[in-house]
Amino acid sequence: MNPLRLVIKELLYRKVSSFIILLTVVIAGTVSVAIYTLSKASENETRKIMREQGLNLYIFPKGTNLIDFYSVNNTPAFPEDYVDKLAASKTFDAVRHLTGILQVRYPDWKDPNGSVHQIVLFGYKDEAMQRFLPPQETMGFDVEQGKVHVGSLLARNIIPGDPFTIKGSDGRIHSFEIARRLEEGRGMIDQGVAFNLADLQEVLGMQGKINKIEALGCVCSDGRIKNARNQVQAIFSDLEVTEMTSIADARENQRLMMNKYGAFIIPFVILACLIITGLLFYQNIMVRSREIGLLKAMGKSTYSILFIIIAKAFILGLAGGILGFFTGNLTAEYFGKEIFRFTASDITPLRNVFYYCILLFPLLWMLASWIPALMATQIDAAKTLSQEY
Amino acid sequence: MIELKNISKVFTKGTDVYTALRDISFKVEKGDFCSVIGPSGAGKSTLLYVIGGLIHPDSGVAMFNGRDIYKLSNRDINLYRSKHLGFMFQQFHLMPYLTVAGNIKLAFNGKNRAEKIGYYLEKCSLADIKNKYPSELSVGEKQRTAFIRAIISEPDILLADEPTGNLDASNSDILISLVKEYNKSGGTVVVVSHDPGISRYANRSITLEKGCMQLNHP
Repeated sequence: MNPLRLVIKELLYRKVSSFIILLTVVIAGTVSVAIYTLSKASENETRKIMREQGLNLYIFPKGTNLIDFYSVNNTPAFPEDYVDKLAASKTFDAVRHLTGILQVRYPDWKDPNGSVHQIVLFGYKDEAMQRFLPPQETMGFDVEQGKVHVGSLLARNIIPGDPFTIKGSDGRIHSFEIARRLEEGRGMIDQGVAFNLADLQEVLGMQGKINKIEALGCVCSDGRIKNARNQVQAIFSDLEVTEMTSIADARENQRLMMNKYGAFIIPFVILACLIITGLLFYQNIMVRSREIGLLKAMGKSTYSILFIIIAKAFILGLAGGILGFFTGNLTAEYFGKEIFRFTASDITPLRNVFYYCILLFPLLWMLASWIPALMATQIDAAKTLSQEY
Repeated sequence: MIELKNISKVFTKGTDVYTALRDISFKVEKGDFCSVIGPSGAGKSTLLYVIGGLIHPDSGVAMFNGRDIYKLSNRDINLYRSKHLGFMFQQFHLMPYLTVAGNIKLAFNGKNRAEKIGYYLEKCSLADIKNKYPSELSVGEKQRTAFIRAIISEPDILLADEPTGNLDASNSDILISLVKEYNKSGGTVVVVSHDPGISRYANRSITLEKGCMQLNHP
């Protein structure tokens, strides 16, 4: 008789024991796949949240007093081509989405009714991408030349359809089409205007200058800020890096949360399931001692006996791995909808995880059955076959 | 064919020592029907398993066709069991998840398998129940299934351990007649039993008492 047929017949005969072993694989598969899929979704979610929250690293000229930066206009500026030079450096990979910004307070802006307000002007340079790194979607403001985005508080003073006008340092009135009226609650820009950098430089007479670079720091195991600082200062020693920790930490904590739990829960669940499987196989061997004794008496080799035990573990591991993959994905989708705001609809089965499931679980379950299988080969056929029951 | 020379076997369990076989020597020739008789605990089954290569004696030599069974490699001892021996047990030891036909197939992968199995199933009146599982069989049917499984690969020797121990008189007669028929067709039989009546079918009979050979009727 084909040994595989014998394995399948036995597997179907001892349904409860086989089902429990299958269940252990399915549980291990479900937990592993669900947590892994959710951790990947968490990474994507974090990326999207970060896009919402904005850039988390600010690069200023060394010695910039941040209190002054936000309150007065005498902070030092530096050439805008610093941004391009940083992006062009092949050793510079700890920071992405480099956006050169000119940010100044404008104390006496006159609204169309003639009232004077203190507003903040932002000039955004096109985001610089490192060419040697994989391309990414831009995060910063994308303001076309000749147009502006107006903050919500400031927009209240301008009739829709009217242009935004401002007096330049040369005494001329500059007029810009309002491309967007921004919604409320976006921080300092609520009382400000976003320009294309070149336009603002012209208004202020600061051609070629910026006073800040905003960027997104990588999540590096040896520390975000340290890595970014080292890389920036290796290229421009006159710049320093400040981190917006609340944003950065929120990002990192969320991203690492799933990984942290996954790193503990996945091995724990798999190990527990493997131990249960090992014990069930041990019990199975004890129940089958006479069958195994008979096979020995019939001249079946040690390898044949090992095969019938380990093949059973392989079949259950494979079936459980496939089932676990699908139930894991269903679980991830179910909980993902509850947890993730932006990426819930993006949670889809990961093909590489499927390959891992069909390779890893049969292998692990074969390992779990290995000691019981070796014990089976050591069964004393004479003793078991002569026992009465 | 089989020759045992000064076979001894002692089992120990904790401080208890039990001598199962003491200095046993005898020969079984091809075509013999050899019965080994004795009360429970006399060492009959131990002797059978020594011949079957399943219990290594403490001393002495067990030969099959001039070769010491216990000096064979693992591969050769497996071959010895699969090609030259057929086992029958008092408890039948049928695989519970295989049908009558499946249990027989387990022991035989040779040519004309279906025809041969069909022939023996007819002969043993099991053809109608070949697709039944052991739990659905009577004890007589179980033992006949075990008998076919033991002889289907046409082994040289049939080793039977109390084959009628669980059978009623009528089923015992049927089984013994099947074993006799196998013996007549050239097969060698070694049967152990506590029932002295079995020796009337044998041309060679041994009686064991507390591991020692009492009588040997050539």
